[in-house]
Amino acid sequence: MDEKELFVKAYKAMALSRALDRKIVMAQRQGRVGFYTPTIGQEALQIGLSMALEKEDVVYQYYRDVPFMLHRGVPPAAIIDQIMGNSSDVEKGRQMPSHYSSKQHNFMSIQSPVATNLPPATGAAYAIKYRKKNNIVVTTFGDGSSSTPDFHAAMNLAAVYELPVVFLCENNKWAISLPIEKQTKVEIWKKADAYGMKGVKVDGNDLFSMYEIAKIEIERVRKEKKPVLIEAVSYRIGPHSTSDDPNKYRTAEITDGSEKDPMTIAEKKMIEHNYLTAEEIEKIKSDAKENIEKIFDEREKLPAPGTDTLFTDVYEKSNWIIDEEKEEIL
Amino acid sequence: MSSKQLNMVQAINSTLDMLMKEDDSIILLGEDIGKDGGVFRVTEGLQAKYGAERVMDTPLVELGIVGMAIGMALAGLKPVPEIQFQDFIFTAFDQIVNQAAKMRYRSGGEYNVPMVLRTPYGGGIRGGLYHSQSGEAYFAHTAGLTVLSPSNPYDAKGLLISAMKSKDPVIFLEPKKLYRSIKSDVPDEKYSIPLGKAALVHEGNGMTFVTYGSMVPTVVNTVVKHSIDADVIDLRTIMPYDGETILNSVKKTGKLIIVHEAPRTLGMGAEISAFISERAVDYLQAPILRVCGPDIPFPYKLEEYYMPNEERILKAINRVQEFR
Repeated sequence: MDEKELFVKAYKAMALSRALDRKIVMAQRQGRVGFYTPTIGQEALQIGLSMALEKEDVVYQYYRDVPFMLHRGVPPAAIIDQIMGNSSDVEKGRQMPSHYSSKQHNFMSIQSPVATNLPPATGAAYAIKYRKKNNIVVTTFGDGSSSTPDFHAAMNLAAVYELPVVFLCENNKWAISLPIEKQTKVEIWKKADAYGMKGVKVDGNDLFSMYEIAKIEIERVRKEKKPVLIEAVSYRIGPHSTSDDPNKYRTAEITDGSEKDPMTIAEKKMIEHNYLTAEEIEKIKSDAKENIEKIFDEREKLPAPGTDTLFTDVYEKSNWIIDEEKEEIL
Repeated sequence: MSSKQLNMVQAINSTLDMLMKEDDSIILLGEDIGKDGGVFRVTEGLQAKYGAERVMDTPLVELGIVGMAIGMALAGLKPVPEIQFQDFIFTAFDQIVNQAAKMRYRSGGEYNVPMVLRTPYGGGIRGGLYHSQSGEAYFAHTAGLTVLSPSNPYDAKGLLISAMKSKDPVIFLEPKKLYRSIKSDVPDEKYSIPLGKAALVHEGNGMTFVTYGSMVPTVVNTVVKHSIDADVIDLRTIMPYDGETILNSVKKTGKLIIVHEAPRTLGMGAEISAFISERAVDYLQAPILRVCGPDIPFPYKLEEYYMPNEERILKAINRVQEFR
């Protein structure tokens, strides 16, 4: 894939992701979706990183990584299936929306407690190193996660064992209601130094700079088998979740973030590089919208999972206690 | 068939050795388990044999040890994390309860965590508050975990082999009081004890004891010494416990006493008591009794008063025998 194709594919994923995001938020407001954590504003940093990855690389992502997943080939239908918790959802409707899983695309299953995906990411990287494989692990998290013991544990372990892990901090400057200034007194990328690993900061709103840094760092991680912390600075344009009302705590802010909207920045640069024309961009966006509308309507019609799925997958084999409870309830 | 007289430390050590020899996906990780062989010497000599990559002396971070093990398991390895004392496990509780235990269910069966978490538990070594706790109920209360506790070297080997075959996370609780205090004949070859199956370690008709781990010898010795006509059931698997064996015995004896070191309130005794009340209330000829640790933190100097002993067990025996 040449540079142009690479960026066109990336931009298409951004547009698709934005269209999906808008649709889900709207559907939630209409009472058709229970809950959702919008990804608006974080498309460029996720996709810029994803562009530099290989298929075999493993991602321990968090709950705001839909753009990342779409770019790596997870079909929008699968995202919507998870959000609806319908009969086609791989998770069998067990998790609330935004907690995706896709083994086929090397995405782990997502949990709610933040940063708890980080220590397992180091274990997965240890396995790679132990088996002398060439893939790497990426783990993603928000700025709030940098305060957790799991962040500390994982950063330290990855450095001590020299593991091929990319720690991607998606700094959208808000942990629900807590602004970054009250989360930490040190820039997040600088924390890497304390663990003996490399830390870099990048403008996460710019697809082009994100890809440039990600490419260099990922190549190095793959080659040297050593971790890196990338702080991609972005902005949470939307609320934390559809249950959140930022008007309560974002009162002093003068902006909705739209002047730094990664879509606008990417579009400008796509045109500058002659990768796309303004007309082509408009076409991509309207196609994405149409496509998402169609898929959403189709997936919305699917029924809930059968009740026979309720008591399975607790263990490989069920036990008498679960069997008895199943008998009583179903 | 050859066998050796081994204590529990030796039985676990030789079992790990045997399994590691044939399966290079097994990785041990924990604090001081490599060069030092573990503070109880359970992993003695294994790092020298299999290298520091497979017997890892980790930094001092329980949540990291368990979290890392979970990632290894997800990547196809078979990790055996050790938490030096069960009392230190709580920073890793989130990883155990919210990651390991729920992984299979929440991913719709796409992912699972085959990991055997070993940790010494219980009192009897004068370890005070933080080297004596019995936290089995915390784990038994979490769907997705299997909780085991052997009471002798033979079972330790057989249960560990079964645990290592499991495709799901297992909490392997080692009663540290019994690490070196008893020996049993342990066959050299591989054998397994099925998970979820209790052992009837003493037979009788007058009453039923249900116990596990460190309390098994205490109960059996009391029963033998005083010629009590009793079934003594060693659970071996705490979760999912063997309800059928308990039920059959109580239907026969009509009397039930549960003995464990963990605090009485909401311990396994409460569960087993409720289980029998639901299914065999017509068979009961006396109240179900529990002989347990009290609901206080584990004391240092006066630990003998904390641990259930012969005297307290006898008191319970008298009470059920005299009940009219």
